[in-house]
Amino acid sequence: MTPTEAFERARRRSAVWIGIGLLLLATVYVRALVFTPAEVVQGLAQKIFYVHVPSAWVAFLAFGIVGVSSAVYLFLKDPRLDLFASSAAEVGMVFTTAVLVTGPIWGKPIWGTWWTWDARLTLTLFLWFVVLAYLVLRTAVHEPSQRARYSAVLGILGALLVPFIHVSVYLFRTVHPMPVVLRPGKPTLPGSMLATLLFSFAVFMLFFAALLWHRYALARLADARAHAAAERDDA
Amino acid sequence: MPDNGGFMVAAYVAAAVIYLAYSVYLVRKGRTKG
Amino acid sequence: MGELLRAAWAIAAKDVLLEFRSRTAFVSALVFTALVLAIFNFARDPTAVSAVDLAPGILWITFTFAGMLGLNRAFGLERENRALDGLLLSPASRTAIYVGKVLANLVFVGAVEAIALPLFALFFNVPILPVLGPLVLVIALATVGFVAVGTLMSSMAVNTRFAELMLPVLLLPFLVPPVTAAVQMTARLFAGRPFSEVSAWLRLLVGYDIIFVAACILFFESTIEE
Repeated sequence: MTPTEAFERARRRSAVWIGIGLLLLATVYVRALVFTPAEVVQGLAQKIFYVHVPSAWVAFLAFGIVGVSSAVYLFLKDPRLDLFASSAAEVGMVFTTAVLVTGPIWGKPIWGTWWTWDARLTLTLFLWFVVLAYLVLRTAVHEPSQRARYSAVLGILGALLVPFIHVSVYLFRTVHPMPVVLRPGKPTLPGSMLATLLFSFAVFMLFFAALLWHRYALARLADARAHAAAERDDA
Repeated sequence: MPDNGGFMVAAYVAAAVIYLAYSVYLVRKGRTKG
Repeated sequence: MGELLRAAWAIAAKDVLLEFRSRTAFVSALVFTALVLAIFNFARDPTAVSAVDLAPGILWITFTFAGMLGLNRAFGLERENRALDGLLLSPASRTAIYVGKVLANLVFVGAVEAIALPLFALFFNVPILPVLGPLVLVIALATVGFVAVGTLMSSMAVNTRFAELMLPVLLLPFLVPPVTAAVQMTARLFAGRPFSEVSAWLRLLVGYDIIFVAACILFFESTIEE
C-alpha cells in the first residue's frame, strides 16, 4: 500500500471517528444538561464547566504536543514531525477558541464581568496568540523545509514562554487583586458531577484524537501530492 | 438558585457550533482535495 | 569563545557603522518615538488621571514600538543584494552572526531609549533623576530580553511577505513577561517605593533574559540553514 493509499484510508476512517466523537459530544451534552444536578450557589451556568474545562485540558495538551513535536523535529529533521506539529496546532486552536468563548460566558454570571485577567484565562489567551502566530507564520513561508524549521523554533519558544506568562500573571494579580462580585467556592464535586466531568474528559480526548488523526492524514496527503507534482515538474 | 440558564445555553450552543463547524470544514476539505 | 566574540563584534561593528553612516533609520525611530510620546499626552484626560499613573505604561509601550521599528531594519540590511549569503560564507559561525546582530540592535535600540527617556521625563513631568540608576538597570534588562527574542523573530519575519506585520505578531506575546515586569518596576520606582519591593519582578525579568537569550542562541542556527 502506498503512503497515499494508507493516508486515504486513514482519512476515511478518522472521518468516521470524528462523527462518533460528535455523537458522543451530544451524549455529554444530554448528560450534563439533563441528568446532572445543578449547583445551587452558581446556578445552571455552572454546567458550562463540563464543556469549558475538558476543552481547556485538550487545548493545553495540543500545545504540549506542538512543543514536543517541534523539539523532536529540530533534533531529527523528519518532516513528518513538522506536519504532526502543525496539525496539532490547528486542531488545538479550535479547542482554545472554544475555551476563550465559553470562559467569558461562564464568567459573566459567576464573576459579574465578561473578562477578568485571571491566571488561567490570560494564559489561554496568550496560548491562542502564540498558536495564531504559528499558523500565520506557516502561511507566510512557502519553502517547506524553511517553514518547518521556523515553525519548530516558534513552537519551542512558545512552550518556553508558558511558565513565564503564568508567573507574570500570578505576580500581577498578587499586586493588583481583581474585584470579584461573586466568589464561587471551590466546589467539591459530588459523585454524579464528577462522573459527568470524567465522561466529558474522555469524550473530548477521543474527539481531539480523531480530529488530529484526520488533520494529520490530510497534511500527509497534501505533502505527498506536492512531492508528486514536483517530481512531474522535474521530469 | 440564580437565574442564569441563558448563559448555559449560550455557552453550550457556542461550543457546539465551533466543534461542529470545524469538523465539517475538515472532513469536507479532505473530500474536495481527494 | 574568543573567536566567536571577535566575529560577533565585527558583525556588530559593521552594522552599527552602516547605520551610523546613513542614520535614516535612527532618525526615523527618534522622530517616531517623540511623536508617540507627544500623542500619548493627548490620549488621556489630564484632569482625570495624573501623568505619573500612566507614565510607566506610556514609556514601555513607546519603547516597545520604537524597538520593533529598530528590529525590523536589522535583517533588512542583508536582504538586499543577498548579503546574507556573504555573511554565511564567512568563517563566522551562525551563533556569532546572531550575537553580532543582537549587539548591533542593542546599540540601536539603546540609543533611541537614551534619547527618549529625557524626552519622556520632560513631557510627562516625571522625576527620573532620583531613581536613574535602578531605572537604567530595569530598562537595560528588559531591552536585552526584548532585543534577543526580537532579533530571532525578525530573522524569520524578514523572509515573509509582510515582514513589518509579521514581526509584531510573532514577538508581542513574548514581550508580556519582560514588559509587564518593566512597567511594574518602573511604576514602583516613580512612586518612590524601595527597590526591594520589586524583587520578584526583577527575578522574573532576569530569569526570562537568561532562559530566552540561551534559547535564542541555541535555536538561531535552525532559522538559517541551506
